[in-house]
Formats: sequence, C-alpha cells, structure tokens
Amino acid sequence: MSDITTTLRERARALMEDGTIAAFIGWEAGRFERQTTPLICLDAADTDRLIFDEYCVNTTAKYVRDLKQRGRIGVAVRGCDSRAINRMIEDNQFKREDVYLLGIPCPQMNDRKTGTVLNKCQDCAHRNPVTYDELLGEAMEETAPQDRYARAHLVSGLDRIARQNIFNMAFERCIRCYACRDVCPCCTCRTCFVDQRNVGWLGKQDNLSENRFYGMIRAFHISDRCIECGECERACPMDLPLMAINKKLVEDMNTLFGEYESGMTTDNEDALRSFSKTDLEEFE
Amino acid sequence: MILKDEMLDSLLTELSKEQIVYVPKQVNGTTRFAPYVSSDKMKLDQVNTVMPPKDLLFPQTQNMYHYGVEKNSGNMFIDPVIESADQILFGVRSCDMRSFDCLDAAFLTKGYIDEFYQAKRDRLTTIAIGCTEVSETCFCESMGQDPNHAPQADIQLRHGEGGYNVTAQTEKGEALLEKFKPFCEEGEVEVADVHCTLNVDASNIKDNLDILHESHELWDSMSYKCLNCGTCTFVCPTCYCFDIDQENRCKEGVRFRCWDSCMFSEYTAMAGGHNPRPEKRDRVRNRFMHKLNYFEDRYGKMLCVGCGRCIEKCPVSLDITVLIDRANELAQAEETEAAHA
Repeated sequence: MSDITTTLRERARALMEDGTIAAFIGWEAGRFERQTTPLICLDAADTDRLIFDEYCVNTTAKYVRDLKQRGRIGVAVRGCDSRAINRMIEDNQFKREDVYLLGIPCPQMNDRKTGTVLNKCQDCAHRNPVTYDELLGEAMEETAPQDRYARAHLVSGLDRIARQNIFNMAFERCIRCYACRDVCPCCTCRTCFVDQRNVGWLGKQDNLSENRFYGMIRAFHISDRCIECGECERACPMDLPLMAINKKLVEDMNTLFGEYESGMTTDNEDALRSFSKTDLEEFE
Repeated sequence: MILKDEMLDSLLTELSKEQIVYVPKQVNGTTRFAPYVSSDKMKLDQVNTVMPPKDLLFPQTQNMYHYGVEKNSGNMFIDPVIESADQILFGVRSCDMRSFDCLDAAFLTKGYIDEFYQAKRDRLTTIAIGCTEVSETCFCESMGQDPNHAPQADIQLRHGEGGYNVTAQTEKGEALLEKFKPFCEEGEVEVADVHCTLNVDASNIKDNLDILHESHELWDSMSYKCLNCGTCTFVCPTCYCFDIDQENRCKEGVRFRCWDSCMFSEYTAMAGGHNPRPEKRDRVRNRFMHKLNYFEDRYGKMLCVGCGRCIEKCPVSLDITVLIDRANELAQAEETEAAHA
C-alpha cells in the first residue's frame, strides 16, 4: 500500500507543479490510529501529506464541485469515486476535462474500529476505477458480489406492514442532519426540496412522518442514479439502514427498466429520464 | 455510602414510581437517555451516549402554543403549551453535566428567561456517574472538566469494586438521598481516577481566535472538507440554536420550535435572498468561534465541554481538537512575527 502512497504523492505533486491541475483531492492521516480524513491540496507542498491505505473511507468526488472554479482538479479515484465523477458529469456538475483522475484499484476499505471490511465495500462490484487518466498500480481482477441486492433483503419480500415497521423504526431515530444528502454524489440539486421553505414540501419538525417523508423522497429522487457507493449509510450518525432502501430501489429499476448500473459511463440513459417503448406498462 | 451493584435496579424501580428516570441505554439502534424500564439493559459502562441528554430540557421539536378559530363561536384562541414533569437524569457524565451550565447561561441569564426551558430545568434532578473509562475522542479535561467528578450534579456516584459511592452535592440531592438510603449501606468502595488520552491546550484558545478571527489560512484549511451537514450540531450537548415554525391544519395550528444548525445555509438566509454567511468557510468559522470565542466573551465559559461526540460522528473527521492545535500554532507564529517586525 505504501508504494501507492508514494506514487500518489509524486504524481499529484508533478501535476500541480507543471500546472496541469489547480488542486488535488485525496486523503491524509487523521489524529487517531487508522483514521483518515479527506485532504484538499491547494499547494504542491500539501501533496506530501497524501496517503492511501485501507482506511480511506471517504468518497471524495463531491469536493470537485466546490473547487472547480479554481481550474482543473486532480482526484484520486477508486471504483466508487470514479463512478461518482461520472455521475456528476452526467448531471452537468462539471465536464470530464475539468478533472484529472489518478486511478487506484481499491483493496476494499476497513472499519477503523473493527478492522473488518466496511459494510459499504462488502458488495462492491467495481473496485477498479471505471474512468481515469492514469492508473497507479495494477488493475485487479473484479469479483462480482454474490448478491448485488443483499442489502435490499432487509425490506424486499416483506409484506407492507412489516416493511413499514422497518422504515418507521429507522426514521424514528433520524435527526435530519442531512449528512446522507450532503455526502451523496447524486444529491446535486441547486436547491434541495428540503430547503424550499416557502413551498413547504417538508416541515422542519423532527418527527416520524416528516423524517420518513424526507428519507423516502430523497431515496426515490436518486433511485435511477444511485451509484451504490454506500456513503450515505456510512455518514449517517444514527446508523439508519439507508442502503437497504437504495438497493431495493436499484433492484426495482433493474427489474422494471433492464440491466443498469449508474455512473459506469457518462452517457447512460437514466431510466426515469428517458422513454422507451419497451418500458414495462404495469397499469394496462 | 455504598450502593451495591445488585441494588441498582431496585433503587431505580423505586425512583421511577414517582418520577421519570432517564438512563443511558440502547434504544432502537442508537444510544441515548431514555426512561428506565427494569427489563431493559442500561449502558452504564458506555463512555458517552450517541445523543446527548440536552433533549430532556430542550427537545428537538417542542410545541410552544396551539392557536386557531373555534368552530361554533368563531373566537380565536391561543393556548400556550409548557411541558414540565419531575425528571431524574441518571448516569450522566461530567461533560454532559457541564453542558447544562452552558444551556442555563444561554436560556436563563442576561435578562431573559426562556420559560419552556426553565419549566423543565427546575424539575430536573441529576445523578452523575464518574467515568470509569474514556474513549479516544474524550477531551473534557482539556476543556476544564474532571471526568471523575461533576460538581454541578445533585448526586455524584463513583463506581468501584461491586458498587457505587454515593455523595449528595446539593439540597435537591440531599432530599433525594433519603430515597437512596434503604438501598445503600455504610462504607466506601475504592475508586480509581481516569484521565483523558486526548489532550489539547485550550487555555489560550479564546485569545488566539481573537487574533485569528479573519485568518484565511486557518478557516480555509479547516473548512474545505466540511460537508455542511448538521451532524456536529445535533450530537453536540451544548448547541442550542433553534428555529420557530408552525404546522397548520384547517383552522387550527401549532407553533413549535426545533433544533436548527448553523451549518445549514438556510440558517442565515434572509428575506429577499441575502445570506450573510454564504460560504461554508463562514459557517464553519461561526460554529467554532461561537464554541471557543463568542460564548466565552458573553458568558465567561467555553461552549465546548470536550465530550468528543462531534469528533466521533463527523462524516469527514473534522476535528475540533485539530482546530485548537492549529489555531495555537498559527497564533504563536503570528505573535512571533509581530515581535520581529
């Protein structure tokens, strides 16, 4: 792993020094053992702090939005990060030429407390970056997850009441900090429906009905675009099983509109934003 | 006086007969202070609950008054809602006890009494337990607290081999101690002090931030990675900002207040669209300045108690102790520079 760190530092520094990029997004060591935190390098000297190990839990692509006015942005990308980049390009957040991607095949990230593979990484199908300008290290053989929708089983196959109980249990403890939205590479609306206070889609009171409304609308809103990175669930301070809901919706999208993975390219036809005569007509 | 471990449940059952006793426990996938039920396992060995106890005094959503038009008479009515009940907070830690000092200062001093807060505060009795272990994110000692002892608590417990030492520290505590007596015995167990493993020098942080309040170097570098979610403010035991809103149904409605977060851009949005804190740098700066500088200015104490919840839960590991270290470093550098100039 340390040789990736070395190459990453060298390449990021070289790219900043020769003016290819104006900033570089990666990870640095945190205060605690096995803790990392996103690092945004604005100066070539900052690149010496970059690291890459199996505890780089953050998906960092969303920072490109904050930095793009500075010029071309370098990003260290694994599978999930690269899909997030593709997703945001497709959603017109920036253009492919606005980013310079250093691809890193992902060893799968670990939970720093338990040392075991993070939940969000367990059913990952794309550990190699799907798009990059340079690949650091050897691409690895991808292993398809045993069951792409394993997480959805928490809710799929249950009757309405049982499913509702699970949602209620989860959203009862939601504190509406919006970390799931703020970390999500699909959540790029200029004004989130939550913040449209004058329209009043959502009340500000924290209670089950409003929380559930927030969580479900957000899930539906990203249902044909979710890149399955699992950042929402990792970021959630209250441990809501958000990926169970997202994976269920991804499963539905695949069943209803055909095999589909978001963020693999930048010219996907998103199921809910395109029309096909072969679309399933459930209401005939 | 010793309260043996095996007597704890009987005591809490007895106390629960007359009041609601809030204890730290696992509730629906998270840990918080919730009403004691003898069959539920408590989390007394846990370092800190995920959610702080501030919602006992300052609920995330609190109704303030109902209003509307009466059907038959057509008269308008406004009914204030002031909720209050005798409550005991059991098993609270020194950091969270200190947070009540901060909330008291904000809600009850400087010429304004928040009656919603006061109604709950007056009827709260606190029973603190000295920490027996610390988490890696605990830094209460750096913020002036003693993890072993909470001087503000009505009753202080300290755990040792087989039981708790019980000490009443206030009149309220003395009165409640009468209820303890049947379950306790004379004597004292041996207790061991614990200390934080995370230590920062916060002794000059207020002055240092006075110097650095416009330092781009500090605030830019600290805020790049912030997502502007509200996690830190909602898990914080001292964050007390709220918004007031209403919910209307036909000819009736309820006005409520609910936690707000200075991390949200909407927090400072003005009518007409102007936002005085447009960038996340402005919001991050405000949060830390409020914690470590403005509150000290106004109330003479820090608005951070060192519980470490924000460090633990921040999705991008933005760490207030790193900010304190960095600010000390930069302020020192600036002072040295000024001395040379």
